Amino acid sequence: MDQLIVSIGREYGSGGHEIAVKLAQKLGLKLYDRNMLEEIAKHKNVDYEELAKYDEAPKKEILTRTVRGLSNSHEYNIANMQFEYLRKKASEGESFVVVGRCAESVLKDFEGLISVFILGDIECRIQRISRVRNMSESEARSAISRHDKTRKAYHNSHSSMKWGDARNYDITLNSSKLGIDDAVDLIAEYINKRTVKR
Amino acid sequence: MFAGIMAVIIFLAMFILIVMDKIERHIVTLACAVLTIVFVFGIGMHSLTAIDETLNVRNIFTSSFWYQSGEASESTGGINWATIIFIAGMMIMVEGMARVGFFRWLCMKIAKWVRYKPIPIFITFMVLSSVLAMFIDSITVILFLAAVTIELAQMLKFNPVPVILTEVFCANLGGSATMCGDPPNIIIGTSLGYTFTDFITNTGAIAAISLVAVVIYFYITMHKKIKTGEEVDVSALNIDPSSVITDKKGFILSSIIFILAVVLLVTHAQTGLTVAIIGVLIAALTFIVSGKHILEILKKVDYKTLLFFIGLFVVVGGLEQTKILELLAKLIENISGGNAMIMVAIILWLSAIASAFIDNIPFAATMIPVIRTLSLTSGVPLDVMAWTLAIGTDIGGSATPIGASANVVGIAVASKNGYPISWKKYCLSLVPATVIVLVISMTCIYLRYL
Repeated sequence: MDQLIVSIGREYGSGGHEIAVKLAQKLGLKLYDRNMLEEIAKHKNVDYEELAKYDEAPKKEILTRTVRGLSNSHEYNIANMQFEYLRKKASEGESFVVVGRCAESVLKDFEGLISVFILGDIECRIQRISRVRNMSESEARSAISRHDKTRKAYHNSHSSMKWGDARNYDITLNSSKLGIDDAVDLIAEYINKRTVKR
Repeated sequence: MFAGIMAVIIFLAMFILIVMDKIERHIVTLACAVLTIVFVFGIGMHSLTAIDETLNVRNIFTSSFWYQSGEASESTGGINWATIIFIAGMMIMVEGMARVGFFRWLCMKIAKWVRYKPIPIFITFMVLSSVLAMFIDSITVILFLAAVTIELAQMLKFNPVPVILTEVFCANLGGSATMCGDPPNIIIGTSLGYTFTDFITNTGAIAAISLVAVVIYFYITMHKKIKTGEEVDVSALNIDPSSVITDKKGFILSSIIFILAVVLLVTHAQTGLTVAIIGVLIAALTFIVSGKHILEILKKVDYKTLLFFIGLFVVVGGLEQTKILELLAKLIENISGGNAMIMVAIILWLSAIASAFIDNIPFAATMIPVIRTLSLTSGVPLDVMAWTLAIGTDIGGSATPIGASANVVGIAVASKNGYPISWKKYCLSLVPATVIVLVISMTCIYLRYL
């Protein structure tokens, strides 16, 4: 079977992670999200919680410096650990689904990559976050704004492509219109057509 | 007036761009140097002499640049070519030593000597970091020490974070002890005409007292954080320090060159050899013994730092030529009311606080003309202010994760290996030690010189 890598970028509250989980199950592929850091921590014999604090966060410009190509930004170093991990897995020929982590940019040279970005209507995202995180509407709204800002800054600091810009992905999909399960089916169908064409 | 305003604007823009870290700092200083030549010396001052004095190329072709028969003399300002040539020579030597595995061997040898026990490793690595940083740039020292510390921590099951933090601090402290230990010192030494002996007997003495104090302080505050409770059977570990040597003949020759460099530096006041010729000599010797590896070594030389220095000296030259720094000197004199003790305190703490947040090299380069003017107008001996400036800039840099290059490298090596050191953790550990050393230094300066 040819290598298949599905990268799923997502707005906060769009259900992108859930779509990635269901898609991975449907396709019988391994899913990489935060668990990547758990594996990295295990491999390096270090504390996962210490690394997780800096996961998918942008580099703090004023508080960090770079000397001889070495940065003291943990956000930057931990992001690069994950990028190396993904490149290694992809180079070994593994097929997988990966959530976030600039994967559509990091793995753009791999032929088997299919990149997806999941967005959602703001009201649907507020409802989803209120339900899942047990928050009030205003709390959910500010959480969405905060997380999206962080994800955008994180992504754009590592990639020349803009976060969520439709021109950078194979599919951008509004999950609010179809719902999670239909979105999964639609992406799976697209993947199927793409793999047939190869 | 226009030239002065432009010089200040360019200088501030350079500082802000360096702090922002968006553009590589050598590009920032070189671009600002071009702007200084065009707007300050050209359009503002219409002075070819100012350009000539700042570029300072003629100085290289004088015999005193390479050999000084009498007392070392002050340089004329502008680009400090002696510093650049010396640092380039040391970089080449250090790359030659790194290639053959010298630093890893030394770290492993010491770890073996203390029988791979975490606390003795913690203490000996602090001293090793200080001693190496007296002669070798602290970036290289920490690059190797931190990497070996993590390697040993993984094998011996101890927490490497406190060890790396103390190594960083001690590298900055060791760097303050000698003329060649830290870039501010080599700039101060060559600009104001001080020798290796001048530094070691003044800042070196203060650094030695401070080292004893901080080793005790770090032992008290950190020894419990190092042990993880897991016991490792050291006899089962198969570690042979000599296995890290990649080229035995090259190792011996590199060690001899290093010893020669130390001897030449220690005796340069007696032999008359300037740091510029010492830099050229050790680079030439490294090339001779490296044979086919010359290109490999040259590729690793941090030429960006050398370009950074060149640009920096031109921008500071703009401030100097337009007499802006004399205004700063006047301000310090007015605040202190001409009192030497207050003046020393201002220079020490101002240098330390500034160096904790901004690069200490441009700060030191800027402050040299200031203390030169201050000494002339206030009568406070220049050497006292030079030692104060050196200690302030070298030690202050330890206080924050961005204060000195060694800190950045130490934290980066730890972070890349899965041990992120937060600002809070860093500052809680090293700010008290910085304050301790600054207080010790201020007391020593007051008691010895004032």
